[in-house]
Amino acid sequence: MRTEGFAHLEAGRIDAARAVAEARLARDPGDGDALHLLGIVSWRSGAQAVAADLLRRAAAALGEAEGAVLCLSNLTEMCRLEGRLDEAAACGQRAVALGPDDANAWYNLGIVEQERLRLDASITALRRALALAPDHAGAHFELAEALLLGGDFKAGWEEYEWRFRVTGVQPLLPQTRAPAWDGSPMRDGRLLLIADQGYGDVIQFMRFLPRARSLCPNVAIACGSLMKPIVAPLAGDAPMFDNWSQAPDFDAYAAFSSLPRLFGVELATIPADRAYLRPDAALVAHWRSKLDRMTAGGPRRIGVVWAGRPTHGNDRNRSLALEQLAPLGQLERIALIALQLGDAAAQAGRWWGGAPLVNLGPEIRDFADTAAIISTLDAVVSVDTSVAHLAGALGQPTFVLLPFAPDWRWLLGRDDSPWYPSVRLYRQPSRGDWTAPVARVAADLARPGRSRPAT
Amino acid sequence: MSAGVLMEEAVDGGAGPCACSSGLRADRCCAFDWSTPPDAPRPTPEVDEAAQALAAGDAARAEALLVPLLNRHPRHAGALRLLFELRRAQGQRAAAEALLARIVALDPNDLAGTQALALILFERGAMAEAEVHARNAVRLAPTDPRSHNLMGMIMTEAQRPQVGEHHYRRVIELAGRGDAILLANLAWNLKNQGRMAESRALYEESVALAPDVFQTQFGWAKMEETDRNFDRADQLLDAAAALQPGATSVTLGRAILRGRTRDYETAVGILEGLERTGGGLGPVEWSEKGLLLDRMGRVDEAFAAFTEAKRTLREATGQAYLAEAAADLAQRLKAFFTTARLAILPRAGVRADVAQPLFIVGFPRSGTTMVEQTLTAHPKVSAGDELPTINELTNLIPRMLNSPLAYPEAFADLWLGDQTEGLDNLRDYYLQRARQLGATQKGASLFTDKMPLNETHLGLIGLIFPEAPIIHLLRHPLDVVLSVFSNHLTHGFYCAYDLETIARHYVLVMDLVEHYRGQMSLRYLPIRYEDIVDDQEASVRKMLAFVGLPFDRRCLAFHENRRYARTASYAQVTEQLYDRSRYRYRAYMKHLAPVIPILEPAIARLGYTID
Repeated sequence: MRTEGFAHLEAGRIDAARAVAEARLARDPGDGDALHLLGIVSWRSGAQAVAADLLRRAAAALGEAEGAVLCLSNLTEMCRLEGRLDEAAACGQRAVALGPDDANAWYNLGIVEQERLRLDASITALRRALALAPDHAGAHFELAEALLLGGDFKAGWEEYEWRFRVTGVQPLLPQTRAPAWDGSPMRDGRLLLIADQGYGDVIQFMRFLPRARSLCPNVAIACGSLMKPIVAPLAGDAPMFDNWSQAPDFDAYAAFSSLPRLFGVELATIPADRAYLRPDAALVAHWRSKLDRMTAGGPRRIGVVWAGRPTHGNDRNRSLALEQLAPLGQLERIALIALQLGDAAAQAGRWWGGAPLVNLGPEIRDFADTAAIISTLDAVVSVDTSVAHLAGALGQPTFVLLPFAPDWRWLLGRDDSPWYPSVRLYRQPSRGDWTAPVARVAADLARPGRSRPAT
Repeated sequence: MSAGVLMEEAVDGGAGPCACSSGLRADRCCAFDWSTPPDAPRPTPEVDEAAQALAAGDAARAEALLVPLLNRHPRHAGALRLLFELRRAQGQRAAAEALLARIVALDPNDLAGTQALALILFERGAMAEAEVHARNAVRLAPTDPRSHNLMGMIMTEAQRPQVGEHHYRRVIELAGRGDAILLANLAWNLKNQGRMAESRALYEESVALAPDVFQTQFGWAKMEETDRNFDRADQLLDAAAALQPGATSVTLGRAILRGRTRDYETAVGILEGLERTGGGLGPVEWSEKGLLLDRMGRVDEAFAAFTEAKRTLREATGQAYLAEAAADLAQRLKAFFTTARLAILPRAGVRADVAQPLFIVGFPRSGTTMVEQTLTAHPKVSAGDELPTINELTNLIPRMLNSPLAYPEAFADLWLGDQTEGLDNLRDYYLQRARQLGATQKGASLFTDKMPLNETHLGLIGLIFPEAPIIHLLRHPLDVVLSVFSNHLTHGFYCAYDLETIARHYVLVMDLVEHYRGQMSLRYLPIRYEDIVDDQEASVRKMLAFVGLPFDRRCLAFHENRRYARTASYAQVTEQLYDRSRYRYRAYMKHLAPVIPILEPAIARLGYTID
């Protein structure tokens, strides 16, 4: 049955897999394998609660029998995705106890421990996974995140290179014979730099562009059109393109996100002594004039962004609902300027807080607009999304709201950021608790004359 | 000839009498097909004969001659006029109106017919239609005082008293000030503008000319009541009662007066007396009784009275909530005003040379009048009151943009090369109308427009005034619904005619507001009625800061702002800020039970609770 049912599942024949599981359960309601299969089918059909319950029953029925490790490992991941981290960790530990040679079980446990901020346990589990399966790209990448989050940049950057080999990740560039750049000076030939990953990553790593250009005078830059106006001022005379068909010949390449590894960046050597982005002066004048009229009377103008891109893997943890920012609406003489884009922008229609909210999202065309607007504000309050990076890169006072387990770049146990001196971090004290950090942001903003984050 | 008649009847047999009671067949009266070619002219001696019969007082003979003639020749102007006069004399108002409208349609240059039609429509309360014909009357005869008098009356009652005043003054220029009724009409107009001293002087002049006119004495009494001269109002009601003993309007006026002096027992007693002796109360009397009982804390009886008011109103008007039309408009507005479309629509420029509108929006009975009174106590803000112009624009936009589409789809024409300045034209139309309606005043940089439910059109407002401040009054939805239920309003597709439809329209409009705010940039501030009651100064400071004005202490004493607000709220805003209307719904929980499920999501979203 296992072979037949799981073969249907792997081939995407959900209904056939369900039929096999149900037929088996009709004969024996305590069939652990069938419960496991039906649980996976239910999960893929969107019935999460039913699925986890089926897997719990399956794990109990299987005991230590064949299939138990996989079942527990799957339950680990289900519990993690549902936010029940303690149960997930317990399942993960049982899975590796039963199957100490199962790389995926260690991998799943490593991810859970990272979300619980038990970094040592996470690193140990991921290294066990890699000892069993040295080419497990996912485990390398998760290990990179754990190391970087803990501030071990040297080891972290090396593991971080595995990100391009993770299943489902788009290749960095079309197939090429040109080698990856090793970071050494390249006086002849052209270096292709690729503005890779998300918008926030591009903003964070573009600070290394001047250094790369100083090593390689002949640079070309592959960059999406939305980011182009932001990257261009640091690109100098380097040609930029947003379509591989326009790519010039090149002799070596590097991703923006590989530059810190190539330059051996450590916590103490992050170049962050000054703002490295400048908004377009004409755009600043335009938005300042508009906002002066839209928020007459001279209130402090606080930009707000409450949600990230919904397809981001950690979005459910990092985004909040606008109404959760209600304490900001209680502040005196303040106007909130919504910089939110995407579907979440519609939440501006349901803002009934005391302070007026100007929903600028619908009028923002690109990052150049956002940068110009931010430059006219007193401060920005943002969840972990590209706007937080943009405001930081502009040197604007920025209050970043972070989930309990943040992205690696915000590190742990500190409320400042070595990447952005004007940013202050407001962390969830426990998973899902936005009340406390939002209240702290409101309290800091309420201090007389203070828009700049407390340091 | 008789053979022809028989043949016509055989062909058209079965056509019943027209519902307008003209006496004609429907297909020769209100259902006539005007595309059929006119008859060739022929002698019609019956008309002369009918005129003689009418002159001799023989209505039956006149009717017997006119009806068959018009059934054969529905366009016969002479016959139509005689039948109109006959029906008017018989008090057949619907028939008279239908016949008169046909006379004017056949000959748009008929001045007497046009004036008579405007008057008959005015008397029926059909102000918008009446206005069309009164305007034509002025165009046809610009020096005829009757045309201007009609415009004066209609504009005054249509809540555009500044325009009305212009026409009354024109009558005085053309005909002198010897007409007591005209002076009383102008006095009523000025009372509606809050110019009480001028109004009083005109009433005095009118009564000196003609002391025995009931409407003059009664109107003057209402004016004094509005100006809080209650004793004088009582005396004038006595005078009116002496001229027309037993007049229901005087009895109601007396009850309102007692209510305003807080003698609720007497006020209710007066209405109960009217109920016993006058053959029952009408909607206005029921509402007044409900309000008085509410003040006395007799909530079950009060709610029963409000319910009766709505029932009698529906009976009298045949009107009900236009649910489908409201839903259709809301759906089309939401479909049109989206971020993607708004990104490629132009915006009107901002005029720096004239005062700018300050929109005070909200569901009726949310506190818009109070906020307007508050803000217009500031020297930089003039009062525009309820400007009808945004609603007018929704009708005019297709024509102004030369579009074959309706509002809002007609905005698609802004993408055409010859309509790129279309929004500037709409903006200028609004500003010009606001000036004509007396909204702007020298020295003021802002003027208010507090037309309730303008929030239905936030998209339009955002296009033509992209930086105009919009203050949205919020109040506990159950209080709003209860208050609308206890008043008579025609706003919002006639939603106010039933408890449940008020709630449904409230939800529809709030959903639209959320949509607009999520899709476009607006200069928008929600203000809660309850917060104003809690901490008036904080709310006033917030609103003034929002519109960009320095704080002015005069705004805190808005009840001293003697400008008369012409809405159902006037008796309240002339009292000091009070707590009575806050969470009034709590006394009516069992009565409001049917609408709680409808309103619950909106109540929660707004951060209110039910307790």
